[in-house]
Amino acid sequence: MLEISELRKRFAGGPDAPGGKVALDGITFAVRPGEMFGFVGANGAGKTTTMRIVMGVLQPDGGSVHWQGKAVEYADRRRFGYMPEERGLYQKMRVAEQIEYFGRLHGMDAAAARKACDDLLERLGLTERRGDAVEALSLGNQQRVQLAVALVHDPEVLVLDEPFSGLDPIAVDALATALQERCRGGVPVIFSSHQLELVERLCDSVGIVSAGRMVASGTVGDLRAAEARTLRVVVRDPLPGWADGLPGEVTVTGDRHVLLASEGDDQEILRRAMKAGHVEHFGTEQPSLTEIFKEAVA
Amino acid sequence: MNGVLLVAKREIATHIRTKAFVIGLLITAALVAAVAFAPKIMGGPEEYTIGTVNSQRLPLEQAAPEAKFEWRSYPDEATAKKAVLDGDVDAALVGGTKVLTDGEVDSQLGVLLQSTNREVKLGAAGNIPPLQMVSVGADTRYQAARTGMAVVLVIVLFMLIIGQVMMVAMGVVEEKGSRIVEILLTSVRPWQLLAGKIIGLGALGLINLVTILVVGVTASIVSGVAGDFPPGMPGIVAGVLLWFVLGYAFFATLAAAFASLVSRQEEVGNVMSPLTMLMMVTYFGAFFTTTDPTGTLAEVASLVPPFSSMVMPVRMAAAEVPLWQIGLSTALMVLAVVGVLSFGAKVYQRAVLRTGARVRLGDVLRAK
Ligand SMILES: Nc1ncnc2c1ncn2[C@@H]1O[C@H](COP(=O)(O)OP(=O)(O)OP(=O)(O)O)[C@@H](O)[C@H]1O
Ligand SMILES: [Mg+2]
Repeated sequence: MLEISELRKRFAGGPDAPGGKVALDGITFAVRPGEMFGFVGANGAGKTTTMRIVMGVLQPDGGSVHWQGKAVEYADRRRFGYMPEERGLYQKMRVAEQIEYFGRLHGMDAAAARKACDDLLERLGLTERRGDAVEALSLGNQQRVQLAVALVHDPEVLVLDEPFSGLDPIAVDALATALQERCRGGVPVIFSSHQLELVERLCDSVGIVSAGRMVASGTVGDLRAAEARTLRVVVRDPLPGWADGLPGEVTVTGDRHVLLASEGDDQEILRRAMKAGHVEHFGTEQPSLTEIFKEAVA
Repeated sequence: MNGVLLVAKREIATHIRTKAFVIGLLITAALVAAVAFAPKIMGGPEEYTIGTVNSQRLPLEQAAPEAKFEWRSYPDEATAKKAVLDGDVDAALVGGTKVLTDGEVDSQLGVLLQSTNREVKLGAAGNIPPLQMVSVGADTRYQAARTGMAVVLVIVLFMLIIGQVMMVAMGVVEEKGSRIVEILLTSVRPWQLLAGKIIGLGALGLINLVTILVVGVTASIVSGVAGDFPPGMPGIVAGVLLWFVLGYAFFATLAAAFASLVSRQEEVGNVMSPLTMLMMVTYFGAFFTTTDPTGTLAEVASLVPPFSSMVMPVRMAAAEVPLWQIGLSTALMVLAVVGVLSFGAKVYQRAVLRTGARVRLGDVLRAK
């Protein structure tokens, strides 16, 4: 289990913010082995800062990061895979050499690094580009190389800062599959993203940060359950004034009346609707993650 | 340690196959070879001025038709000796048995005089005593070769050290600016990254230096210039290698520390300027040493780090240096390198992850 508790970080402020800028204000969450954790939040909420602290690139002012019950040290982090927000690769180095190099830095022997590199290139569709300098690749392909660098040593924990940004739909699927596979192998995966549909589709649980605090976290289902549910009823050609006295609002498009209600007796509403006309749809609306997110950070 | 080697290997592998490295190596090798052949090519036919005292002129022209000889007569040995010391004549033949020179006789002239003397006297009875060679001046026979070597050395050492040091600085900024350090430092320690980079680029510099030395010495042997080399050449060559390593380690570590303060290549020149100045001063000191290798300035500069890193090898090439001075200077420079390494590693470690605006050295040193 990767446990992040009470992380605090303040950056020294410039002349305009003499008190400094609080980036993290007690972030706490945990990711179980085999869990895919989606880290979402507005720009500047503190996602990158949290991930940097997890990877030891930044020192927190307070709080701790534990992996398998003990405070994370350099030796543990060597077995983590990390994709920083600002991508960094040697531009002039060849793709395969670069991936192998990072594998070796993580302690793999030459043969193992080569094999892992070949597998990743194959999987990420980069086999033909293996001999090219990184700078000759398109941005999306460079991103795939960056990902390969994070995955090459078969990490125990994956920390990926916006891994999906800039990828085409095919690459998104390839990456999603690769991550899900690692997850099934028992690796906790944290990734940040602004593509909430993707997070909703992939993640077992989600954490929403706002201004350096975790404002909501849990499975997508839990978060939905916490939201007020909305009843949606569509009636064709009803009698006028059918919804008078019912909670919620009616919108009319053509001969269809749509009632959205977040309270009231649903059975009573159904009865009234059936009496009024032809009921085409009756059900509760699932709030999307986007709606939950907007609600949470509002 | 493994991390250090991997980093060093990457540096070597990346740079060694660049055009810049290969072409640079070829050009310097060609230049050094040219310098070694220059005296032979530019020397042209030899010209000698020879004085005589109570002697027959020897028919040297017959033995060496391409050389020119000028003869002068002197009334006695004392005036001839003065002429030799003043440099009016290259040698003076006294009484047909003795040759006076200032320092060791020019090797070609010596051979010429001896063989011609034998031929002339071949008719005479009894065995023929060889001409007695007498030096009336100080031993200066290696001076020209020594000065030449020293000048070449200054330039080679300076170019190599400043070249490799700049590469270290740019490499550090490349990694910091592109944030590769963020990934690197999750798998290697900052000191490993720093050491690997310095060792790798230093090894490239050594490859360059060894090539230059091998080409230089080989070309000198082939061209015959090596005949003028002073004794103790192996010591001089070993000294050059040692001093290159020490000087490079000193400047490269400081360069890495300074470079880790900035995040953009454009800022490298600026942040490095104090260090570049220091290297220039060292260079000028070393250059001055070639003109006055036994002066007080040369002597002091060859003991004080980091100036000693370039001045001492040049002084060793240009003149004899007492062993204790070499020892003292080496010890001081090693101490300086150790000091700079611990300072540089500290600065690098603290600054390299602080991307963005230029980090102030004072802030880095004060932190924690
Ligand atoms: N090096 C720094 N110096 C000063 N302030 C910083 C620094 N790094 C981050 N911050 C501040 O900390 C806060 C959190 O930033 P962070 O990069 O963690 O946000 P984020 O959630 O990753 O945002 P985004 O979605 O835009 O990537 C921001 O207000 C930012 O301005
Ligand atoms: Mg971010």
